[in-house]
Amino acid sequence: MNIIKKPSWNLSENDVTPQELFDKRRSFLKLGAASMVASGAIIEALAKDNIPVANLKYIKDKNIDNLKLNTYEQITTYNNFYEFTTSKGGVKDLAHTLDTNNWKIEIDGLVEKPFTLDLEDLISKMSIEERIYRFRCVEGWSMVVPWNGFVLKDLIKAAKPLSKAKYIRFETKYDEEMFPDQSRGVFGSVDYPYVEGLRMDEAMNDLTFMAIGLYGSRLPKQNGAPIRLVTPWKYGFKSIKSIAKISFVEEEPLNTWQKANSREYGFYANVNPNVDHPRWSQKRERVLGKFFKQKTLMFNGYEEEVAHLYKGMDLRKYI
Amino acid sequence: MKRLTIHLLLLSPLVFLLAQLFIFEVNDPIKYIYIVSGITATVILFFSITISMIKKHINLMKFRKDIGLFGFFYALLHMVNFIVFDAQLDLGFIIEETLDKPFIYLGMIAFFILLFMALTSTKKLFRKFNKYHRLIYIALVLITIHFIMAQKTIALDLFCYIVIIIVIGYYKLLQIIVRNNHVK
Repeated sequence: MNIIKKPSWNLSENDVTPQELFDKRRSFLKLGAASMVASGAIIEALAKDNIPVANLKYIKDKNIDNLKLNTYEQITTYNNFYEFTTSKGGVKDLAHTLDTNNWKIEIDGLVEKPFTLDLEDLISKMSIEERIYRFRCVEGWSMVVPWNGFVLKDLIKAAKPLSKAKYIRFETKYDEEMFPDQSRGVFGSVDYPYVEGLRMDEAMNDLTFMAIGLYGSRLPKQNGAPIRLVTPWKYGFKSIKSIAKISFVEEEPLNTWQKANSREYGFYANVNPNVDHPRWSQKRERVLGKFFKQKTLMFNGYEEEVAHLYKGMDLRKYI
Repeated sequence: MKRLTIHLLLLSPLVFLLAQLFIFEVNDPIKYIYIVSGITATVILFFSITISMIKKHINLMKFRKDIGLFGFFYALLHMVNFIVFDAQLDLGFIIEETLDKPFIYLGMIAFFILLFMALTSTKKLFRKFNKYHRLIYIALVLITIHFIMAQKTIALDLFCYIVIIIVIGYYKLLQIIVRNNHVK
């Protein structure tokens, strides 16, 4: 066969970059880089698939840590809500019995004057913002959720607690009609109503958030509608769902999981990769949607904002 | 034909698991593998000890080895999930966790008992080692503790499992007592 091989230096016409484009190569590189940055926006756009129409007005989170959001689908189909079932996938189908209409929140304890809040009324008075937070479960999984809501600090100020109030105690609704597991008595998964608590300085921290929505629309029932707590530097169980009562108290409240097993779940429940849970290592976590694990950050990545709250405390003891 | 049916039945949890993983795409695949492989192994292994009890009604003695090996297969899957996907082959982490956490070392001990039984299940070796196959009872006790410890709370479905396990344990004990008296 007679194959004519061109020498390597003999370039054909289409191998040559036109001078004009060659000169523009810097802007090409920039374009390439820009497309990589923008992929975050593309992911966000894709993540918004299947989301109900956003109907909340809120101040957008700048997402300075460039966190990749979990999809609406992931966030709303994988839930721990023991009042319905211990099956994370099963909550969504059962949660319809929760009735969030005319939701009231009772505020009592060490306040100037106890009162009851109409939730919709409260929301209309609050400045609603978006908070893109990491969310870490003690079981070793995590996700990134764009919550909508307001800072707890604003509500506390409105409640006018007395100076004696050292802790804040939250309680979910007790209603056997709404929550099937509550009617199971001794066969129930945990003691009801579900109780959680924060120290006053934790509650006043700028990160501590009362969520009423996610992805710009009101919270689905399985995610703790109509209002829930979000403390992103603590394990997920601390973020009590469907809050019906807030009390200001002097003594540290006994939270549900501490009551169930104080050796494994403490009052603080701070995300701490250096202190293992007796059964599960906390060093790493699996972000939902990813197959491999990533390292867990101290205080779930919010060390700068909250580490000062625990100065001088032995974090092996105060779990 | 009977053997094929039993094999297909024992393989169905694996098919179900693969379908969930690759077609329906569960949110937390590693956890899901743990749950399905763990429960399947537990159910099959508990069933394997009831075979000698029910042989008058349904005689599956011929398939006992196959059934036991399938139980081991799901336990192996459970173990591979821990080592490869969960621990990501980090040997230091595996050893540290195993020595540190009762929940894990109980499971490990049970696994090594099953591994020993699987390896000595060939005709030749079984003749030599069959008396050690009674270790299955220790493995089952460890598996049950491991299973309960894996839960955050004892919910209603777990109660059902425990009741079934206690019933099987009771009848098995009765069977052993009756057999021993008979020998005398």
